[in-house]
Amino acid sequence: MDITKELVDSHTVLVLMPSAEYNQDIVKVIKQLAEKKAVCYVTLNKTAESLKEIFSKNKVNMQNIVFIDAITKTIKQTPDTADSVYYVSSPQALTEISITINKFIKHEFDYLIFDSLTNLMVYSKKAPVAKFLSSLINKIKESTTKAAFYALSMEEHKALVEECSMFVDKVIDLGKEE
Amino acid sequence: MSKTIMVVDDEPDIRSTVKTVLEKNGFNVVTAMSGDDCLKQLGSTKPDLILMDVMMPGTPVRDIVKKISGTKIAFLSVVRTSEAEKEQLLGQSNVVDYIQKPFDINNLLNKIKKIVGE
Repeated sequence: MDITKELVDSHTVLVLMPSAEYNQDIVKVIKQLAEKKAVCYVTLNKTAESLKEIFSKNKVNMQNIVFIDAITKTIKQTPDTADSVYYVSSPQALTEISITINKFIKHEFDYLIFDSLTNLMVYSKKAPVAKFLSSLINKIKESTTKAAFYALSMEEHKALVEECSMFVDKVIDLGKEE
Repeated sequence: MSKTIMVVDDEPDIRSTVKTVLEKNGFNVVTAMSGDDCLKQLGSTKPDLILMDVMMPGTPVRDIVKKISGTKIAFLSVVRTSEAEKEQLLGQSNVVDYIQKPFDINNLLNKIKKIVGE
């Protein structure tokens, strides 16, 4: 999959990833997006520090990435901001996440990556998550930022993925790609 | 006397699998479905080790750990941290291990035996 091409035709995409290839897939995608454009990476399952570690090892251009990290503050004390990282209190703080993302959208980041919808379901029920997503996707569509939402291909959260599919422009299932 | 392990995880599958395996190996097991539930149960139970998921609804684990004293804690984590962060987490006084999910149940068992001295 060439995500940059996908995001030329579509403003928002939902990328379904098989769990076995998840870590390789997120590196492939960010490598393409961050090569020349500014990316805002929202992380709900890895700390920004660990992502920086993984991306550096894989020679991803880190100069173009800013992180919104909703994990680190749940496990340790952190400053409000660090070098290219904005911390949100937890993945269940949907309003806080939404406000922070909006700030980045206003700064006209080229791409936003949301990693991932699957993790949102750990903390919140389907209805508030669906409401959060529809509002976020609408704001993204009104902006110049293009967004990729990740989700694990898993039966457990099929209903949310189906609902989210209605809001985004395209669904890309990496498990079904040849 | 059998050692007591408290398994704190919001995923019922993890709680029941770990409980079954530990009980088969002679441990007493109590379970809690969140950090808040863990704190509540610590009023009446004194486990030798708490196995705690780091990503659960409710009060952040960071705040839960601060309220626990005198009991060893091993984190079970689906969350990826950097090596430096892992060391920082393990630097907290009663945190003794950081076990990445998905874990091999036999490895987990061996780690637990080592920690509680069985």
